[in-house]
Amino acid sequence: MTASSFIFYVLAAFILGSGLLAVTSRKLFRAAIYLLFSLIGIAGLYFWMNYEFIAAVQIVVYVGGIVVLIIFSIFLTHHVGAEMEQPNRLRMGFAALAAFLSFVFCALVISKNEFAIPDQAPVPLTVDRIGMQMLSLTEHGYILPFEVVSMLLLAAMIGCIVIAMKLPEKTS
Amino acid sequence: MFIVDYIKDVYNGVTSLLKGMRLTGYYFVHPKEIITQEYPEVKQVLPERFKGEVVMRHNENNEHRCTGCTACELACPNATIKIVTKFDITPDGKKKKALDVFVYHLELCTMCNLCIVACPTDAIKMAQTFEHSVYDRTELTKVLNKPGSKLMDGVE
Amino acid sequence: MFSLESLAHNIDLGLNNIFPPTVALLSEMVIIGVGVIALFAVLGLVLVFMERKVSAYMQIRKGPNRVGYQGFAQTAADTLKLVLKEGLTPDGADKFLFNLAPFIVMIVAMLLMAPIAFTKGFQIWDINIGVLYISAISSLSVIGILMAGWASNNKYSLIGAMRSGAQIVSYELSAGLAILAMVVLTGSLQISEIVASQQNGWWIFKGHIPAVISFIIFIIAVTAETNRAPFDMAEAESELTAGFHTEYSGMRFAFFFLAEYVNIFIVCAIGATLYFGGWMPFHVGTWEAFNHVMDFIPGVVWFFGKTFGLIFLIMWFRWTFPRLRIDQLLNLEWTYLLPISMFNLLLMTIIAINGWYF
Repeated sequence: MTASSFIFYVLAAFILGSGLLAVTSRKLFRAAIYLLFSLIGIAGLYFWMNYEFIAAVQIVVYVGGIVVLIIFSIFLTHHVGAEMEQPNRLRMGFAALAAFLSFVFCALVISKNEFAIPDQAPVPLTVDRIGMQMLSLTEHGYILPFEVVSMLLLAAMIGCIVIAMKLPEKTS
Repeated sequence: MFIVDYIKDVYNGVTSLLKGMRLTGYYFVHPKEIITQEYPEVKQVLPERFKGEVVMRHNENNEHRCTGCTACELACPNATIKIVTKFDITPDGKKKKALDVFVYHLELCTMCNLCIVACPTDAIKMAQTFEHSVYDRTELTKVLNKPGSKLMDGVE
Repeated sequence: MFSLESLAHNIDLGLNNIFPPTVALLSEMVIIGVGVIALFAVLGLVLVFMERKVSAYMQIRKGPNRVGYQGFAQTAADTLKLVLKEGLTPDGADKFLFNLAPFIVMIVAMLLMAPIAFTKGFQIWDINIGVLYISAISSLSVIGILMAGWASNNKYSLIGAMRSGAQIVSYELSAGLAILAMVVLTGSLQISEIVASQQNGWWIFKGHIPAVISFIIFIIAVTAETNRAPFDMAEAESELTAGFHTEYSGMRFAFFFLAEYVNIFIVCAIGATLYFGGWMPFHVGTWEAFNHVMDFIPGVVWFFGKTFGLIFLIMWFRWTFPRLRIDQLLNLEWTYLLPISMFNLLLMTIIAINGWYF
């Protein structure tokens, strides 16, 4: 086993272990922290694959953004040391079924896919390249999804402002 | 207009912050302004009015001016002073009241100066010492008249 | 002339001659790890001492001056005291997370050390997304603070952690936009390329107005991100005793303290790299003789000089300005810094496209 594959297995074990702990932990804050470790492990996997940009974006979006928001909502709603109650059998059964089905789906997709080793040399993934690809109109350009996503974000921002805005009281 | 007010706000904020930074910067580059005194090495010259503790004045012949009249004891608001008197026999055979022990409780004293004012013979005064810390508070109970001292001649 | 680049290169060659490549790589990692830890220790001692002296002189005091010559050994003595103290864990605390939090904060500070260029060719990891890596990893440090605040089971800690979270999440935006403005100008995220692009002058001079605005926003935002006064809402001694690290004592407290100072060093190093050319000497356009004289000063001196200059600036802020209230803090970010930095980014883009910089 080479050092590279050794690192892969360590990372994979870390991701799976902390993911399992996130699901099974009865303390909500700990579950959030385990989720965070799992997401950091995925970022580590991207680093391992030399996709530094994706890894950094993974950390910025998931770890710095989403997990912090989750932790905030836990802060506002829970007590330290309060434990979640055990979910009932029926719900556990359905959860197990859903997990199993999605596992089967993923396994099928992965087994169907042929992982062909590309014959051309890898291109260095610089930022200007990513930017060009993101806004290019050619065949493999991402201009349409990019603009759709930006519209979605704009709508979300306007929604936030509308919710947060205090309307001036009508003087009648 | 909104945008003008906004820019004015930013400008005023930045200038007031810079004003503050100018002052601290001035202090930083002028170490002469430092007001710290390095205490045990450099001792401050205390003002005349500073009062540290009550002491009794003795001259070079080990004589004091206290007649044991207890005026200071009566004047003291905290019972800081306790005077024990004795009776001396004067050369002409009369008994005369005189000071035996002048007990002074420093731990009770508030340095109010009333005893000094009350003393008719100017026997006690305020000293400027201030390093009074001791390991045992009984050490703060002091006897002010030195051993073997006697009343100065001519003080009634 | 002695240079750190040739030193690093020779060590690399020597190790590769003796050992097989994997072992050589591992031993280089160990050397770097030990080096970073040693740098942390030295930085902690120097910066704490510097802070105490600077604060003292700004407040017309003398500061520590008893232990060693002019008090130089004061921080070493303090560290010794902290090592000897007992590390308490409160009764109702979540013990695992409570003990984990200081290490998270320290590990994040260590990770941030990776892409910093100390001098030409002397850099732990010249990652091609250098600046983005820094902003990504520094967003992790809030996790350590939130963890510490929650696990302590203390109301002061919790409030401190929540304030710190709100503060870091919002100030990250304007710090990111300020950095982005400089990235627009340099066209690269890689630290070594950013430094190389300042060969004929530092960006703060070459980029004139928008670069200066970007620098001001950057320095304000990183002061807030490192939780320092006037934005030290997370600690706020007069309101929250010590904020998120109220319950910590001994060496674990020292970790938080050390991480704060190391983070200051790192953000100042990034500021020096982006705006003041990192290890690049002071060059003026085409004055060959002048540039040549400046080249004689080694790059590492330039780098540390600039970084410590910025650290001094941040300390100057701390000992001059009063603490902001939490609503003023968020108001400053969302109504002043963020719009200004967005506008500035636009301005910078126009300038970069038209080539209106020197």
